[in-house]
Amino acid sequence: MPRFSLYQEEYHPSPLQHTWLAFRQSHVAVIGLWILGFFATLVVFAPLIAPFDPVQQHTDTLLIPPAWEPNGSIEHLFGTDSVGRDVLSRLVYGCRMTLGISLILVLLAMLVGVAIGALAGMTRGVRSSVLNHLLDSLLAIPTLLIAIIIVAILGVGLVNSMWAISLALIPQFVHNTRDFVRNEMKKDYVTAARLDGANKVHLFFITILPNMVEMLVVQGTMALSIAILDISALGFLGLGAQAPSPELGTMLSEGLKIAYMSPSSIALPGSAIFVMVLSVNLVGDGLRSALRNRMRQ
Amino acid sequence: MTFSASGNRCGGLPGLALLLLLAGCMGNPDDLPDGVVYCSEGNPNGFNPQLDASGTTSDASSHQIYDRLMDFDPQSGRVVPALASSWLVSEDGLTYTFQLRKGVAFHQTPYFTPTRSFNADDVLFSINRWRQADHPYHNVSGGTYPYFTSLGLNNIITDVRRVNGYRVELTLSRPDSSFLANLATDFSVILSAEYANQLAQQGEKSRLDTFPIGTGPFKFVDYKKDRFIRYAKHPEYWRHDRAPQNLIYDITTSSSLRVAKLMTGECDAMALPAHSELPTIEQREYLVLDEKPGLNVGFWAFNTARPPFDNPKVRQALALAIDKNTLLEAVYFGSAVNAKSLLPPSSWAYQEGLTDTSYNPVLARRLLEENGIEPGFSMNIWAMPVERAYNPNARKMAELIQGYLRQVGIEANIVSYEWSTFRQRLKQGLHDSVLIGWSADNGDPDNFYRPLLSCNAINSGTNRAMWCSQQYDALINDALQHTDPDQRRAIYWQANALLKQEMPLVPLAHAFRYQAYHRSLQGLVINPFGAIRFGEVEKD
Amino acid sequence: MFRFVLRHFNLYVLTLLVLCIFSFWLAYLFPGDPLVNLTGLTLNDPADYQAMAQKYHMDSGILVQFWHYLVLLWDGDWGFSFSSGLPLYQEIFDSLPATVELSTYALLLSLLIGIPLGFLAGLRHHRTTDNALLAASVVGYSTPVFWLALLMILLFSLQLGWFPLSGRISLLFDVPHDTGFILVDIWLSDMPNKGAAMINAVQHMVMPVLSITIVTTAIVLRLTRRAVVEVMPKEYVQAAYARGLSKHQVILRHVVRNAMLPILPLLAMQSTILLTNAMIVEVIYSWPGIGNWLIQAIYQRDYPAIRAGMLAVSTLVVSLTIFIDLLARIIDPTRERGARAKI
Repeated sequence: MPRFSLYQEEYHPSPLQHTWLAFRQSHVAVIGLWILGFFATLVVFAPLIAPFDPVQQHTDTLLIPPAWEPNGSIEHLFGTDSVGRDVLSRLVYGCRMTLGISLILVLLAMLVGVAIGALAGMTRGVRSSVLNHLLDSLLAIPTLLIAIIIVAILGVGLVNSMWAISLALIPQFVHNTRDFVRNEMKKDYVTAARLDGANKVHLFFITILPNMVEMLVVQGTMALSIAILDISALGFLGLGAQAPSPELGTMLSEGLKIAYMSPSSIALPGSAIFVMVLSVNLVGDGLRSALRNRMRQ
Repeated sequence: MTFSASGNRCGGLPGLALLLLLAGCMGNPDDLPDGVVYCSEGNPNGFNPQLDASGTTSDASSHQIYDRLMDFDPQSGRVVPALASSWLVSEDGLTYTFQLRKGVAFHQTPYFTPTRSFNADDVLFSINRWRQADHPYHNVSGGTYPYFTSLGLNNIITDVRRVNGYRVELTLSRPDSSFLANLATDFSVILSAEYANQLAQQGEKSRLDTFPIGTGPFKFVDYKKDRFIRYAKHPEYWRHDRAPQNLIYDITTSSSLRVAKLMTGECDAMALPAHSELPTIEQREYLVLDEKPGLNVGFWAFNTARPPFDNPKVRQALALAIDKNTLLEAVYFGSAVNAKSLLPPSSWAYQEGLTDTSYNPVLARRLLEENGIEPGFSMNIWAMPVERAYNPNARKMAELIQGYLRQVGIEANIVSYEWSTFRQRLKQGLHDSVLIGWSADNGDPDNFYRPLLSCNAINSGTNRAMWCSQQYDALINDALQHTDPDQRRAIYWQANALLKQEMPLVPLAHAFRYQAYHRSLQGLVINPFGAIRFGEVEKD
Repeated sequence: MFRFVLRHFNLYVLTLLVLCIFSFWLAYLFPGDPLVNLTGLTLNDPADYQAMAQKYHMDSGILVQFWHYLVLLWDGDWGFSFSSGLPLYQEIFDSLPATVELSTYALLLSLLIGIPLGFLAGLRHHRTTDNALLAASVVGYSTPVFWLALLMILLFSLQLGWFPLSGRISLLFDVPHDTGFILVDIWLSDMPNKGAAMINAVQHMVMPVLSITIVTTAIVLRLTRRAVVEVMPKEYVQAAYARGLSKHQVILRHVVRNAMLPILPLLAMQSTILLTNAMIVEVIYSWPGIGNWLIQAIYQRDYPAIRAGMLAVSTLVVSLTIFIDLLARIIDPTRERGARAKI
């Protein structure tokens, strides 16, 4: 129902809208978001987009060059690999696998990390102090190194590498959540809620969490770019997803063997990872500077 | 936008560009020490080929560190004198007398200084080590002598006698038409008895096989697993003084990396170029690619000790389920011929008219069902982790076979380990089926039939099918009694028919042998009868 | 001051203890006999087995076992590798210096390039130079380091033939192993062709160092830029301008000091990420370092090697971190504990 407006009302965007407006100011970030959206479409609709099954071997058409080369064929746009699999389909599924898995890992790590971080942030004492110290030194170890160590223990394989990376991502979320919650606990609005008699659970979910969403999104995009790089690095090193599964890092290391004959076997999966990480980073940067701008106002 | 920006950044780094230029231009290849670098494909299992039948081990030691009593001439395949300057065979074919060469010096290294040159004691020691189970060195370093036991040579020789310092007499229990050839293979190397005695006194017997002493053109300097083997010229080599000052094996497991190193000149020669890489090598003028039909066979062996692969019908069904022609095309890129039996076409006992198993998934499915293999049955295919002439890419082949098996309702898992672990577990029979092969050590057909499928070869670890048939063993033993090639051929053809029925393994391909090296390297010839030789190589 | 050091020392010992417990526990976690996983020896002879069990006190309680494990670790008896049969202590301390060398050069180079560029970008905030540098740095740190290394091989080795693509030096040079740092070793050696060896070693180093440097420089640039951007509007900078100091003087006397102080530890902290990148790059360039070694051990399921290698690498990283943190707190006591890099 349209509201009758007599006076020129002042428009007050919500903080989230504010961030979005600031985000839209940056063209680069918006382009990044578009690209990320494109990859997200691939993740969801890969079976519809890919022309062939990614592991199906067309044994009569081995190593066909991409369509734009003299003896390429339009049936296989990016050509076929050395066992006759359609490269375009493998790329599409590869994006689905790499990005999809990374998203799941980040969500999982976020869930666990925020839970532990909130607990740590709202409690005090010797116990939490020892925990914090250990956590700090643990946090200094890069995620990929932790992941490699965990894979070394669990054994090589995609599922193991997924466990490894999500475990490795958790400490960052713990740390950030803990610091954030600690800071917020000192603020007046929390004190007000406490005086109103809110218990700790209520305090966290109703009072603090809504203020944390933006921080979590920024932290999430950072974790996402790390997760993509890590999972493809493990795949590339042969510690994660194993051939013939269409994971971009694994595809890259497979492509190495035929690099002299078809340089596209290195160029394509590699640039897919690169563009994916780039778009995530652009969005992350955009969000961060949008947040910074809002805080300054 | 972003890309031009990145270019901008690099342009802003004059210091970096300077560094690049500095390092790029100052290198002068003439400053390198004299020597040959060979990119080899894996780690040897020690430096004594008696103990190990793998090509990597004999490549690293047989012709570099050691000599044999006799050698094969790489061109004609005839047995020619080496440490034995001449030999006599008695009328009944049971006694062999060898006259040994005088004044052949053993290597002098930081860990051993020889006091005498080569003589009959060294021959006695080298042969008795693998022949006599109670020899003090027999059980050192694992104590398995796969080549000799798979051929039953330890039982054929009844006596090795020292006539005088430079004359040795060997007595056999029965005539063996392939005996001289066996003593000329990569595995029949001559070790130093003096060094062995010295080590026995020090209580470090196993060093005999890890810090080797021989009479070959190069002496051992250093070995770092996964990295390199370093040899130096043996200055008193008995044949000639031409060998390069240094010989380095740069251990590089990935064949694409080996080709890359060959292209950048980091290696002068490389082992086993993958078939897909041959055109790349041929295109380059500064590289040479030699090709020779190889004495080898690549196959897919079933572990007949494990149900359901103990059933010949199941094995036949699996053989029908794969399209060999496509496998050949995809894995060997046309540089191999289809294998119908164990023997390659270049062998004199090759059976011309033998029919091949055809590709017939429908029949395969029916056979499987008749023998109680339900759809969804799962098995594993072991794919060897290294490239070999007979199978340049077992992994890829396994993936293709996986695809074929899926069409007949079988789920195949591909299994692979690091090479030495792989073979160790294979020997224990932990596999369902395996993609592997065999390169012959001499041109005799017995060298295919016996090591691959005889009962004895199960224990020595070359019978990958774990298949033992008295009928088959009787046939191949019988063949050795005859000296007439026609008679022998007829017997081997009977064996072919038996194998066709039993299908313990599916022969896949006989590959050509390739060798790639820089044009500046002279004198590197393909040795069809085994390991590579660097003694005669010269670098311009 | 003394309290800082003491607290950091306590933390260090505690963390190392946790790592040791973990590595000891690994021997039990891995498949197979814990004793075999600890020693790395296949003990077929019962007498040998007994002797080893005695040495590791396998019949005593778990705490006694752990104590003796610690003693053996301290003595440098880390067991043997399954695959090579060599002592792990020796293998690890052969390959670790190679990694440290690679990382050190890469870190120095990226600081040398990244900090000046970061200042340039920060001082020209929101201008073309800044935007270009920022864009370049986003591209830089979005690039997977293993892909970059491959592209460099394709371009500089195979196409242009400028640089060799594997190892630390041509194997024809037999460089004695003293310090493990190749350039130092060549310097100290009495080889006849030292100059040629030196050039050859540098040629081998260029590509691995550059691949790591490009990624790290991007991060260093962003950290520096952010610090400068935050310092510039501060009152003391404005005050300095007001006092009539020239732009040069302001930047040299006030901006550099105040911008660098808080981020120096953050930059140093990059060394751990750099170390991980170095470990991956090693695999591609066949650099004989700890990363290459550890990944080979994982492929070959060499459990004693994984146990010891993991302990060595994480000890190195933790030592670095705690040392840097301590240093940072000594330089700047007002700093918050464990502040993190935000890029």
